[in-house]
Amino acid sequence: MGLILPQSGLSRRRLLQISGLSGMGVLMGGCGTSLFADRVGQTFEPLNQIVEEALLSQNPVPEFSSSAIEPDQLLINTFDMTPQLDPLQFRLTIDGEVGRPMQLSMADIQAIPLTSMVIRHVCVEGWAAIVQWGGVRLQDLIQLAQPKPGARYVYFKSADGYYESWDLASSVHPQTLMAYQKNGQPLPIENGAPLRLAAPIKLGYKQSKWVTQITLVNELLPTKGYWEDFGYEWFGGI
Amino acid sequence: MSTHPSSPAAPMTSLVSAKKKAQLLPTQAFQAKLFHWINLISLIIMTASGLQIYNANPVFGGRAGWHFPDLFLLGGWLAGGRKWHFAAMWFFSLNLLWYGVYVFVSRRWQRRYASASDLQVLQTGQNPKRKNYAWHRVAYTAIIPVLLLAILSGLAMYKPAQFHWLSALFINWQTLRTVHFITVPVVLLFTLAHSFLALKVGNFRLVKSMFT
Repeated sequence: MGLILPQSGLSRRRLLQISGLSGMGVLMGGCGTSLFADRVGQTFEPLNQIVEEALLSQNPVPEFSSSAIEPDQLLINTFDMTPQLDPLQFRLTIDGEVGRPMQLSMADIQAIPLTSMVIRHVCVEGWAAIVQWGGVRLQDLIQLAQPKPGARYVYFKSADGYYESWDLASSVHPQTLMAYQKNGQPLPIENGAPLRLAAPIKLGYKQSKWVTQITLVNELLPTKGYWEDFGYEWFGGI
Repeated sequence: MSTHPSSPAAPMTSLVSAKKKAQLLPTQAFQAKLFHWINLISLIIMTASGLQIYNANPVFGGRAGWHFPDLFLLGGWLAGGRKWHFAAMWFFSLNLLWYGVYVFVSRRWQRRYASASDLQVLQTGQNPKRKNYAWHRVAYTAIIPVLLLAILSGLAMYKPAQFHWLSALFINWQTLRTVHFITVPVVLLFTLAHSFLALKVGNFRLVKSMFT
């Protein structure tokens, strides 16, 4: 001990302080499990969500020019398999708290005016890509189905078993699209063809691919979304 | 206290030196101590959880890039790292905010931070002690914009749509990520330099005075 400790009157105190610091390291290493992180998230995510909801506005997010599109930056993330959907057989169901539940074919959807946007797609993993998406505004589809006054959340069911839920305000944002176009081309299957969610205001995992059903509900269900149910943030606003 | 009658000078000397020592011991404002504690702990959490987030898709090289070893990580996985990061951010940023207000209102900024005279000392000064003192003041003054940059670049990445004007200042996404990441080694180097200079200027008792 004498060999490594400095010979000064403060050595004992210093040792205690150093051991206090390293003790903190051990403590935090133990807390490094996701179990403790869940507690931290339960405490602070409600506050973060209030801030995110306050920041959300219905004004469009400024877009990028077409020359800024980064076709190689958009990575493919899928939790399981890539479903092959026949666009001719495909039907989008809109139901739940609506006055007019409906089933729409791709032809029905493409008859609605197209909205195109060049936005930044941000993945929770840290990467981002500037992408052009073309499709119909989700607010147009929701209006068609005549939402009931109590409807506050929107669930999205995908053909691969993925599921998501959004707050209504984000769902009716003017740049929240059900997209069938990417970078000026028909939407590729691996990106969610025939129809996927696309919006500049939410993280990538909120933007379901291969969406087959849109359900309006009054209250959130115990299952909020595929990744959310593992512990990711539900609001996911950016 | 019993003293030997033949050596009256001995206790006198020790009494005087003890008094002198007590006067020389540095003292710190409670606010400065509180700021240092919260800053140190929140920065450790921010860094460890930030490296966890980094590992989900390394800034340098993407998924194929080099990953930080588990030893430096906090949160267990990406979602856990994000939870720690977006909880500690409140402590880190609000701590800096209230201390900034305190430094401004108390006029601490007028006498406790690097000034023109410090820069002059560094250029032409002959007194090595005064030079160390000047270096120390320059170091802890220069870290302030880096801490602010960590917050601003973090905010630009956390809410790039709602704070699009802030994100746009960082040119592109890769630059934004790089700037945010670079604040980690800069703050780490600063912490080492700050501690080293504090030891040179006031020995361990100066460091101790800031934390006890």
